Amino acid sequence: MRNDWDDDRLLGALRQALRAREAVPSWFIETGRSAFAWHNIDAELAQLTYDSNEDRLQATVMRSETASIRALTFTSAHLSVELEVTGNSLLGQLLPAREGELEIHTRAGEISTTEVDEIGCFSVDPIPESPFRLRCHTADGTHVLTGWITI
Amino acid sequence: MRDDPHVVALVTRASGGDQGAWHELVDRYAPLVYTICTRYRLSNHDIEDVGQNVWLLLVEQLGKLREPAALPGWLATTTARECLRVVTAASKAERLGTGLDDSVLFVDDTVIDEEILVAERNAALRAAFAELPPRCQQLLSMLLSDPPHSYADIHRELGIPVGSIGPQRARCLERMRRSSALAALGEGEDKIDIRGGEPGA
Repeated sequence: MRNDWDDDRLLGALRQALRAREAVPSWFIETGRSAFAWHNIDAELAQLTYDSNEDRLQATVMRSETASIRALTFTSAHLSVELEVTGNSLLGQLLPAREGELEIHTRAGEISTTEVDEIGCFSVDPIPESPFRLRCHTADGTHVLTGWITI
Repeated sequence: MRDDPHVVALVTRASGGDQGAWHELVDRYAPLVYTICTRYRLSNHDIEDVGQNVWLLLVEQLGKLREPAALPGWLATTTARECLRVVTAASKAERLGTGLDDSVLFVDDTVIDEEILVAERNAALRAAFAELPPRCQQLLSMLLSDPPHSYADIHRELGIPVGSIGPQRARCLERMRRSSALAALGEGEDKIDIRGGEPGA
């Protein structure tokens, strides 16, 4: 901003600035504000490192159809989370195998929990319809949070 | 672009857990994120999806942002990447090449760069406006409303004599010009085209 802008120019710029803010729907602001709930979650983030959908989409360009079992892998420094969709449920395993507890967080803000057995296996049933993310707490004190998942 | 001390403070407070500061950051930059989504011509559903991811990523990055001045750039790049992900997924689902033309898939970097500059300037102007006394805010709002209020309307609503409206408008704008919120903007911002000029008052 230069101080040499004349009044009309400044007023025109202000009009544009206020209009730009008015053009943003309130639900969009709300989405941003509510994201703060995830601030300082005590967990290591696990990034999506494999998604069979990506493979299949590549494959359909070249071939006709391929078997379609959805498989996903999330990886963090200490733990990876392998997921596979089977019918109506989602089966998963923590690697290296760890016993513990798993929280399923949906976008809508619902949280449910399930057990992770001694070889690191768990199931999520039914699969949430809205996007969700998993937060794992292992018996040895590792906390891992996956990115958002849409099945 | 220089480091805006106000933005630095907001980032620091938000990363320390201050929800009010986070809300201010969202209010300040939501127009930037939203405008870029509309550049990619996304549906409202996809815009919500992209917005959600961008803000969640920012929440996770808050403590790691060393230069808050880089925040608008980071937001714009992240938003563009998320938009591209959504658009690409939609185009793949349609088995490539159908329905979407290249102009939707590839929004030029220079367009994004200009959006960043416009967003920063707009945010500074809104901040400067918010610092004005209520009386100035009321007067300027009436002058900027669409359709604009006549001086007679303004006299009726605010009780300002018609002959004083022009001088008061000038004083309010001078106050804005001297505001610290505008000082953070560097030179070069006035190269941006200002759409919609002010009708002669």
